[in-house]
Amino acid sequence: MAEPLLNVDNLSVSFVTYGRSRQVLRNVSFSVAAGERVALIGETGSGKSVTAKAIIGTLPKNANISAGTIGFAGRDVLSMPRAEREALKGTAFSLIMQDPLSSFNPVFKIGTHLDDVMRFADKRNGISTSKAERRTRIAAVLRRVQLADGERVMNAYPSELSGGMRQRVLIGLALLHQPKLLIADEPGTALDVTTQDEILNLINQLVKEENMALLMITHNLGVVRKVADRVVVMHHGDIIETGPCAEILSNPSKDYTKALLEAVPPLYGPRVIDLPRSECAPIVTIKGLNKIYGKRPGYHAIRDVDLTLREGEIFGLAGESGSGKTSVARIIMELSRPTSGTIDIDAPAPGRGRRLTQIVYQNPGTSLNPKRTVKQTLSLPLTSIGMDADAREARMRELLDLVRLPQSYLAKYPHELSGGQKQRVAIARALAAEPKILILDEPTAALDVSVQKTVIELLMQLRQDLGLTYLMISHDLSLMRNFCSRIAVMLRGEIVEEGVTPEVFADPKHPYTRALIAAIPVVTDVEERLKPIVTEEERMRFLVKTTA
Amino acid sequence: MQQHPLVAILTRLGMFVLVMIALSIMIFVLARVVPGDPARMALGPAATQEQVEALRQQMGLDRPLPVQYLDYANKALHGDLGMSLVSQRPVTTDLAQTVPATVELVLVSVIFMFAVAIPLGVITAHYRNRSFDYIGRFLSLTGVTIPSFLFAITMQLVAARYLSDWPIIGRLDHGLAWQGGPTGFLLIDGTLAGRFDVVLNALKHLALPAFALSMAGIGQITRITRSSMLENQRKDHVLTLKSFGVPERIIIFRYLLKLSSIAPLTIMGLEFASLIGNAFVIEMIFAWGGFASYGLTSILQKDLNAVTAVVLVAGLFFIIANLIVDVVISIIDPRLRRKEAR
Repeated sequence: MAEPLLNVDNLSVSFVTYGRSRQVLRNVSFSVAAGERVALIGETGSGKSVTAKAIIGTLPKNANISAGTIGFAGRDVLSMPRAEREALKGTAFSLIMQDPLSSFNPVFKIGTHLDDVMRFADKRNGISTSKAERRTRIAAVLRRVQLADGERVMNAYPSELSGGMRQRVLIGLALLHQPKLLIADEPGTALDVTTQDEILNLINQLVKEENMALLMITHNLGVVRKVADRVVVMHHGDIIETGPCAEILSNPSKDYTKALLEAVPPLYGPRVIDLPRSECAPIVTIKGLNKIYGKRPGYHAIRDVDLTLREGEIFGLAGESGSGKTSVARIIMELSRPTSGTIDIDAPAPGRGRRLTQIVYQNPGTSLNPKRTVKQTLSLPLTSIGMDADAREARMRELLDLVRLPQSYLAKYPHELSGGQKQRVAIARALAAEPKILILDEPTAALDVSVQKTVIELLMQLRQDLGLTYLMISHDLSLMRNFCSRIAVMLRGEIVEEGVTPEVFADPKHPYTRALIAAIPVVTDVEERLKPIVTEEERMRFLVKTTA
Repeated sequence: MQQHPLVAILTRLGMFVLVMIALSIMIFVLARVVPGDPARMALGPAATQEQVEALRQQMGLDRPLPVQYLDYANKALHGDLGMSLVSQRPVTTDLAQTVPATVELVLVSVIFMFAVAIPLGVITAHYRNRSFDYIGRFLSLTGVTIPSFLFAITMQLVAARYLSDWPIIGRLDHGLAWQGGPTGFLLIDGTLAGRFDVVLNALKHLALPAFALSMAGIGQITRITRSSMLENQRKDHVLTLKSFGVPERIIIFRYLLKLSSIAPLTIMGLEFASLIGNAFVIEMIFAWGGFASYGLTSILQKDLNAVTAVVLVAGLFFIIANLIVDVVISIIDPRLRRKEAR
């Protein structure tokens, strides 16, 4: 076998913080052959991003490579002189970053970023080029990522492009000098599913056409199936197993990989859970709801929405960013006023300081005040309903039991907790004053799949024990398939499809619903074949344009 | 609907006019309700009660306040700010003589402030937690905490002792044959007239007061620039450029500096008020003869028209400074431009 393009051998990296050393990579070895697509998968803290940074050479200053080599085309990059190593950046291998918005400096035009990257890479290669010449070359690269109107894109500021377009520019940035290896760090994760799907297709196509090797870093096993030939599974800085993609996904040998696969909510097949329909009376009735932000003419965020939530059910409100689903939730919560329409909540009025509805936000890292302990966070809603210190103490212990956290966690600050634990605290806070309806705004979007699974199980249990009604807002349709008894799909402020979950998924009526379902990255080929078919014409009509 | 940028600017200007009207009413009333009879003070203790009454009538002080104000406002709009009781000349003439001196001092201070503070902020951020950073941070803290008059006096003493022919008061040496120029700014007039000896001499006079006046701002802006640079350094876009091998100096001086200049510019606009306040003190110490020292004398003498005019001009300075800051920031940050246009 020929020498692999990238050969990471026995790599160990440790981080020094406050004088303490922490090992983040332990004897990591894997290789990527020329033209091969390898996926590096793992959950938060598994060391996959650190591996990528070590290869590119952007490790933070407190990182220390204690052992190992990184061979690129037969040469060890770690022992290279600095200038030589710099010269590899962008030309031998380049990186596609995860978040297309934060990856651009907001006060510079897109073209400035592209031009500087090209100019200095040219300089290192000993080529001097004129600005006009570079502009033509950049426009050519932008066409490769389906941004035909290169002039407009280059003259735009980052905030003037859509997320999908920015992600395309980021890919273009990586392609400026025909690298041999493309390293992609969770591309598209920050975008809507349909956009993510297009981005993955584009990467696949480019890798093939340019005969590049791809190292895809991701936590999403569905993405892996779509873009990888081989898979490397990482866990806590170790490589757990390596193998061909199909084999790992269908027949993993290690327990960790198995658990990871099982945590992925299935879209079709025998593992799908159908939730029973609630036959109870409606608890929330929304009629003719409209919301317009701003004046003359304003932004019409919700258009004539009618919704009914039955007591005890889990109702899913699906849609992509900007579809108006969060606006609906805010109105139900009475956090904002509708422009027109009525909301009736059919339940006895709660006592002083109590509310019928409460919300669990997407990101527990930002929805919990970092300066307050769990106890302080939980005591606030309890004080507002007039509990005295002893009653609060007892209720807090009860709440922690409910969300299955040990009592000792009362004294902890958010930064001492993991993502899943923080979300449990957020759920406990929402439940503190005994609401009847819980609004879940993408409650697991910021969590790893294995953690997502446990949080979902907890929510199911709580609904049963406490007789709650859930309104779940999400764009993750595979999760909603297994968690919601009824579902409504929103597009540009309107509900385009509504029904019992199994029926909607078995036979989606609206093309947009079909497009959403089709875009979900799934783990098995069987599921892929069961997805609905969307024509190109329908795609054009209902999806946000990400090309230019 | 998109609002035209011009409309946004006009709305802003309209607001400033309102602020100026409010300010003028406030100072007009305040100046008249504080104890002490301006007519008596102007005439001195020897004047008879009849003489004082006559002057009061002549000045219109016996009329109701609203009438007095409307009369004043009407005249002010026609460029007549009344007579100064102390100098016995129109206030506008006094201002025309004194304002350029102050503006020159303040502008040179602001330029000096940015020239020193921005690089210092960038360097201390770059050498974070190294000795240079500690020295820079110590100095900037010193600048913020020590009052500017203390700097001024100390520098005067030091200059007088060790640089015997360095000027420590006034704007220009008396020995220079200089008749004044069209703008009143020595640096500009001197350059226009080709009198570089005047320019050089004026710069020498400016050095100490400008330095003393800018110390507080230097400290403040250095700290803001440093923390802004450090915050932006951690952003993804820096990592992106690094991972494509864009040199660090380009990342710092091109990408980070522009983004990190927004915060110090905003602070500068707000700091302008205390800058003018400090100018009152500094001008007294350096016998500057600017409008700040003119203001101080008129406040002590209860020279009504002069006080009102000085406050209005100071308010105008503050408003213009903030307008400039707003425009500069919206040029730097495209997101702000679009938000404003909405």
